[in-house]
Amino acid sequence: MVEEIRSKAKELLKTKRVDIIIGYKRASDGVSATPAFVNTVEGADELIWDAYCTYNLSRYLNDFPGKKKGIVAKACDAKSIIVLLQENQLRREDIFVIGVECSGVIDEEKLRFGEGDADRIQFDQRCKGCDPSVYPICDLLIKDKGRAKTPGLEKDPYEAVRKFEVKSIQDRFNFWKEEFSRCIRCYACRGVCPSCYCPRCVADQTMPAWFSKATSFEGNFAWNVTRAIHLAGRCIDCGECERACPIGIPLRDINKKIEKDVKELFGYEAGLSDNGKPLFASFDKEDPEDFIR
Amino acid sequence: MMRVLTKEDLKKLINSLSNSFEVIGPKEIPNKGVFYSPITGGDELYMGDSFAIEPAKKFFLKPSCAILSEKPDGGFGLEDVGVPSDKRVIIGLRPCEARGLTLLDKIFDAEHKDKFYIEERSRTTLIGLACDKPDRGCFCTSMGGSPADGQGLDAIIFAAEGQYIVEVITDKGREIIGSTGKKLDDGEQKARKSDKKKRHDSVKTKITPPEGLDKMVDNDYWSEVSRACVSCGICTYLCPTCHCFDLVDEERKRLRCYDGCSFPDFTLEASGVNPRPTKKERYRQRVYHKFDYFKKNFGENLCVGCGRCIRYCPVKIDIAAIADGARV
Amino acid sequence: MDNIYLPHPARIIEVKQETPDIKTFKLKFDDEAIGRSFDYKPGQFVEASVSGEGEATFCVSNSPTRKGSIECSVKKMGKVTQGLHELDVGDPVGLRGPYGNGFPVEEMKGKNLVFIAGGIGLAPLRSLINYCLDKRADYKTITIINGARSSKDLVYKDEYKVWEKAKDTHLHLTVDYQEENWTCMVGMVPKILEEVKPTCENSIAIICGPPIMIKFTMPVLMKLGFCGPAIITTLEMKMKCGVGKCGRCNIGSRYICKDGPVFNYAQLEELGYGF
Repeated sequence: MVEEIRSKAKELLKTKRVDIIIGYKRASDGVSATPAFVNTVEGADELIWDAYCTYNLSRYLNDFPGKKKGIVAKACDAKSIIVLLQENQLRREDIFVIGVECSGVIDEEKLRFGEGDADRIQFDQRCKGCDPSVYPICDLLIKDKGRAKTPGLEKDPYEAVRKFEVKSIQDRFNFWKEEFSRCIRCYACRGVCPSCYCPRCVADQTMPAWFSKATSFEGNFAWNVTRAIHLAGRCIDCGECERACPIGIPLRDINKKIEKDVKELFGYEAGLSDNGKPLFASFDKEDPEDFIR
Repeated sequence: MMRVLTKEDLKKLINSLSNSFEVIGPKEIPNKGVFYSPITGGDELYMGDSFAIEPAKKFFLKPSCAILSEKPDGGFGLEDVGVPSDKRVIIGLRPCEARGLTLLDKIFDAEHKDKFYIEERSRTTLIGLACDKPDRGCFCTSMGGSPADGQGLDAIIFAAEGQYIVEVITDKGREIIGSTGKKLDDGEQKARKSDKKKRHDSVKTKITPPEGLDKMVDNDYWSEVSRACVSCGICTYLCPTCHCFDLVDEERKRLRCYDGCSFPDFTLEASGVNPRPTKKERYRQRVYHKFDYFKKNFGENLCVGCGRCIRYCPVKIDIAAIADGARV
Repeated sequence: MDNIYLPHPARIIEVKQETPDIKTFKLKFDDEAIGRSFDYKPGQFVEASVSGEGEATFCVSNSPTRKGSIECSVKKMGKVTQGLHELDVGDPVGLRGPYGNGFPVEEMKGKNLVFIAGGIGLAPLRSLINYCLDKRADYKTITIINGARSSKDLVYKDEYKVWEKAKDTHLHLTVDYQEENWTCMVGMVPKILEEVKPTCENSIAIICGPPIMIKFTMPVLMKLGFCGPAIITTLEMKMKCGVGKCGRCNIGSRYICKDGPVFNYAQLEELGYGF
């Protein structure tokens, strides 16, 4: 696969179909991956692809205005690209999507700075709910011939959410109170998210300041809830926010809950097709409106 | 002074300290990692190999600290806010973090003394824990430290075959350790030296701190190495020496909150002008502050090689490799 | 231990609308002893607090030779400056300072002085101009070039007459475009400087204004023969603590709040930065 990615990247750069390839390269630790930005044919030789390539690179697509971009995209990244196209953050003709068949990425927490051992790889929890055969957008799909380790689809991707939903409101509140109280407000969840592209995030505004900048429960709660709600109908569950969180707040659990609500209330799933309008840009007279009373 | 403590001795010590001290130590939260937190009993203390995610800096430079409050009578005016004065001991912090505090002293306990930092420092005794298993992110020996280094500590604990050898460094440390456990045999004293060397050599990542960075300010290198940066605050907030802050007024208080040079807003002026408009300038600022500006002003690098920014960077930006590779 | 972040209570004793978005506030410490002991040099700054809004940095725009109050000219921009603009005579504020190095008034003795200001950049220079005029014998010819987008945007209009009449002092006012009833010069500051042609002989140029003005004025000063140490400016950057701790206002290894805000061009070049 790696050779196919490299040769395609070289071809795209040589023919000037794209100016830059956003892909993965080996990180300085010799084991994990780091984003690569390749703009020369020779540079394409540093591109890699394996289970360490966890990042959602579509986050970088808007870092190169006016340039044609090629991007190495997993199934989840492809969904993010759909969302960006739907929201007019990208022009289709400016990107070339090199889809890579993904069998799940590793759980970094469990491998963090231990010795890398591919056979004992623990797949990330987030990959268990992903159907990697769905590539909603790609210009070329590079297949994984030796694909064996697919984490597979969970029977019910919302099992954890359902278990949580039956708890009392007080229990649920206490759970999140404890989790959010530990938030250090580093905004890494925002930084890695392809859909958090607001030029001036609500958290940074000062006139007025919408919520406390202090790491107190009130401010942390406001930030985390605002982040999650703002991604309603837009989050494609790449799980990058949860992976990036240094102190381990289970952000995917909130994202999943909202995803489930959106699906049940509006029959909408984000990132599947760029034909439709984004959820919050569409209106249907069948939409439930029991919140207006 | 050297003492040998059994696990039981340490537990008892912590239990007895709880009567007269606020005790802070590493605590493990399952599936999340190790965090410095208040310890109520010896059983809670985590003395394993994993490093705390947040450095002990957070007890001296709090993530948000009230420095002024509006007068309670409702009249206008800001008044001073006190710092708790009860004695505190932090047990189990790592040598690199203590060294970080000695660097922060140069800023906060210098001209224009910051009482919030200084008073937290003076009420706290630091009992370090020497590292057994430095990981790939650690490069303390390249930054003038060592896994067995006592700089900035009042005492340091070496875990050794089911027991703890404690080296008392200052009077403050003596006050805590006192006559707990038993005295170390003279024969054992000798073995300490080779143990320290062994620990020193266990740090495998080595770099050469850069020199003459001022000659490569405009180098494209800084655009290259910062391209993957997602502009979050992990590297600065988790750094034992990053100390930049913001002052914000909230709820009738003025707070000093963490801030970092990686955020675009850090230098954004009200007029809309930003002297550090791109990731290039912002990441360069971080590296230069650590390996050039601080050295010019205080003679040392503002980095202790703890590896946190490398370990937790969401996209694996590696300051050790970047500093090592910054050559004119 | 003293709290270095604690401001002294002060009150607004006069407000003057300089331009549509700039007001000059005359402030007085509640405690007169503090007022008397508040010693500063032209070019130094204060941190001013507005209740509920926060704190912001302002240079002191009146001369220390005219004691009794602290004057700050404030352009309505962000949260704190908007808050200040809503205040009136008698309203309380907080003040701490003075901070920064100030202008090298001793080194400037016996020299011709060329002041070049754009917009609100005149604020720190006004303190220095009045200081020099009050100690007139210490300084030689004083040339002032002051520009603004339009006559509406000129600050300290009342003082121009005094400056014009002062001994051996030349004031050149300019606006960017011609206006009805405008009798002074027209054109951007760099062009006017070229026309005025002040001598570089035994002279120091002190320049303060928007970055774009400084950028285009520098080559003109160089052409006139001014060298690095003879060009002085006062820099501005977002500041919070004012005492070299919060870490955001550095230019190279120097903090504007502690080592500045006044630098000469030679120092800035050494730091690896132009103006």
